[in-house]
Amino acid sequence: MGKIKPLLAVLALGLLAYPLLPFANEYLLHVVILVMIYMVLAMGLNIVPGFCGLLDLGFVGFYGIGAYTAGLLTVHYGVSFWLIVPLAALNGALWGVLLGAPTLRLTGDYFAIVTFGFSELVVLFLTNEIWLTRGPLGLPGIDPVNVNLEFLHPDWFWEFVGEAPYFYLALFMVLAVYFVLRRVEDSRLGRAWFAIREDPLAAASCGVDILTYKVIAFAISAGIGAVGGAFFARWQLFLSPDMFKFWESFLVLCMVVLGGLGNIHGALIGAVIMVCLGEVLREALFVAGLPPEVRFLFYGLIMVLIMRFKPAGFFPAIAATARGNPLLAALAERIEKTYGERRETHS
Amino acid sequence: MLEQLLPQLVNGLTLGVIYALIAVGYTMVYGVIELINFAHGEVYMFGAFLCVTFITAVGMPFYLAIVAAMGCCALIGMFLDLVAYKPLRKAPRLAALITAIGMSIFLQNLAMVIWGSRPLPFVQSAVPAYLNETALSFSGVYLTWLQLFIFAVTTAMMLGLMFIITRTRIGTAMRALAQNKTAAALMGINVNFVIAFTFALGSAMGAVAGILVSVYYNSLYPTMGYVAGVKAFAAAVLGGIGSVPGAMLGGIVLGVAEALGAGYVSSLYRDGVAYAVMIAVIIFRPSGLLGKAVIDKA
Repeated sequence: MGKIKPLLAVLALGLLAYPLLPFANEYLLHVVILVMIYMVLAMGLNIVPGFCGLLDLGFVGFYGIGAYTAGLLTVHYGVSFWLIVPLAALNGALWGVLLGAPTLRLTGDYFAIVTFGFSELVVLFLTNEIWLTRGPLGLPGIDPVNVNLEFLHPDWFWEFVGEAPYFYLALFMVLAVYFVLRRVEDSRLGRAWFAIREDPLAAASCGVDILTYKVIAFAISAGIGAVGGAFFARWQLFLSPDMFKFWESFLVLCMVVLGGLGNIHGALIGAVIMVCLGEVLREALFVAGLPPEVRFLFYGLIMVLIMRFKPAGFFPAIAATARGNPLLAALAERIEKTYGERRETHS
Repeated sequence: MLEQLLPQLVNGLTLGVIYALIAVGYTMVYGVIELINFAHGEVYMFGAFLCVTFITAVGMPFYLAIVAAMGCCALIGMFLDLVAYKPLRKAPRLAALITAIGMSIFLQNLAMVIWGSRPLPFVQSAVPAYLNETALSFSGVYLTWLQLFIFAVTTAMMLGLMFIITRTRIGTAMRALAQNKTAAALMGINVNFVIAFTFALGSAMGAVAGILVSVYYNSLYPTMGYVAGVKAFAAAVLGGIGSVPGAMLGGIVLGVAEALGAGYVSSLYRDGVAYAVMIAVIIFRPSGLLGKAVIDKA
C-alpha cells in the first residue's frame, strides 16, 4: 500500500490539473462533466430505491424542475447561480414532499407508477405551457455561471468560459453531495432508511415513523436531482422539454442498479460506465446505421441481466466486507438456516 | 359545444374498450403474481407489428393475421415470464419491478431495430373495405363498421375471458392463486403453468388491442406501447388492480374521460388526463372502483 499511495496522489493531481493544461480536449472535458452530473443524479436517485427500497421512475421530473427553475430565474430575473442552487433544491424538495406525502403510504408498485405519471406530467407541462417555458422551442439564452464580487471591487466579475471552470464546479458538486450522503448514510436517518428497506414491519415496531422517513428520503432525492438540473441549465445554456423524458430516469436508474442499489460508490462507478457506454454506443450505432435511441436496447438488457445474475450490482463493496468477517458470516448463515424459509413465504 | 358531446362519447368509448382490453392483461398478471408487468405495453405493440408483418411478408388474410399475431404474442408473454420473471419469484419486489422496466425498454428498442423507428401506416389493402364504411348515423354521429367491429371483438373477448375465469378449471386455479399461492400449490395446482397461462391470455388480448388501435388510427410505431401501456395501467388502477371487471370498467371510464377532456378542456393535455386520473385515484381511492385495498401492511 505504501508504494501505491503516492502514485495515486500523483494520478489524482494530474487529473485535477488536466483541464488547465493547454492541450486539454474540450470533448473529453465535456464527457467528464456529463459523467459528474450523472454521478450527482445517481447518488440522488440511489436514496429512494437504494436506501429505502422504493422504485422511483420519475426522478427526471425533479431534474427537469430544477433545470427549468434555474433557467427561468436566470432568463427573467438574472438571479445568481449561487442563489439559484438552494432555490432549485428547495423547489425540487417541495414537489418531492407534495408528491411523496400522499403516495408513499401505498405499496411500492403504486409509488413507482405515480412517480412515472408525475414525470410525464412535468414534461407535458413544460411542453404545453408555452407562455412560461416556450414549449418545444426550448429555452435559449441562459447565462453561464458567474462569480460577481462587484460590490467589493468594480473589476471582480468572472463569467465561466469553456469547460474547465465547469469541471471544477461539477467536481465540487459531486464531492459535496458525496460527503453529505456518506454522513447521512451512517446517521440516524440513514439507519432508519435501511431498516425500512429491510423490513418495514420491524422498523415500525422499533419506533421508526415510516411515512415521515420515506418522505424525507424522497424530498432529499428530489432536491439533489434539482441541484443537478440547475447545474445542467447553467452549463448547457439551453433547455428543452425533450431533455427530461422518461429515458433519462431509466438511464439514471440503470447506473444505480449497475453499481449496486444502496451503494454510493457503486452509483459513482455506474455513472462513469453508463455515460462512457453511451458515448461508445452512439458512435457504434452510427456506424451500424441504427438510430441512437437503440442504445437503450443494451441498457434494458443490462438491467434485466443484472437483476437476474448480480442483484447486488457489480460493486457490492459494503456487503462484501461485512460478509468477509467470519463472525458475521457464521451468524448470517445461522439466521438464513433458521429464518430463510419463513421469510420467503412471508414476503 | 353540446353537439360535440355524442361524437366525443363514441370516440371515447371506442378508445375505452381498447384500453380495457390491455388493462385486463395488467390486472390478471398483478392478480396472480403481484407484479406490474411494465412490458405488457410492448406486447401490445408487438401484436400490431406482427399482424402487419404477417400480412405483408407472409400474405395472410386480415383475420388470420390477427389470430396468428395473438398466438405469437401469447408465446412472447410466456417467454417473458420464463426468462425474466420466473427466476425472480423469490427475489425482492424491487428486483422484479426493475426487470419488468428493463424488459419493456429492451422490447421497445428491439422493435425499433426490426421495424425502424418511423410510424408505419397499417396495410389498408388487406383491411376489408367495408370496415371503413359508415354503418350507422344518428344525430351527427357516424359509426363505422370498424368501430362496431372493435366493440364486437372486445365484447366477445371480455365475455370469453369472464367465462374462462369463472367457469373453467384453469380459471378457478387462477383465482385460487390470486388468493393464496402456497395454499393453491398445496391443493395440487401447477403454479408455474397457471402463471404462464395468465401471461399468455393477457398477452393475446393485448395483441388484439394493438391491432385494433393501429387499424383505427392507421398508424403503428415502436413507442406506441409506452403511452398505451401506462394508460391501460391507469385504467387497471382506476378499476381496482387485480379485479377483471374493474379493469373493463376502468378502461371505459378512462377512455371517455380522456375524449371529453381533450374535447372540452385542452387537447394538449390529452395524455395528461390519464396520468392525472391515475395519480388522483391512487391518492384518494387506492382500492379503485371495484378493487380491494392495497395499503402497505407496515
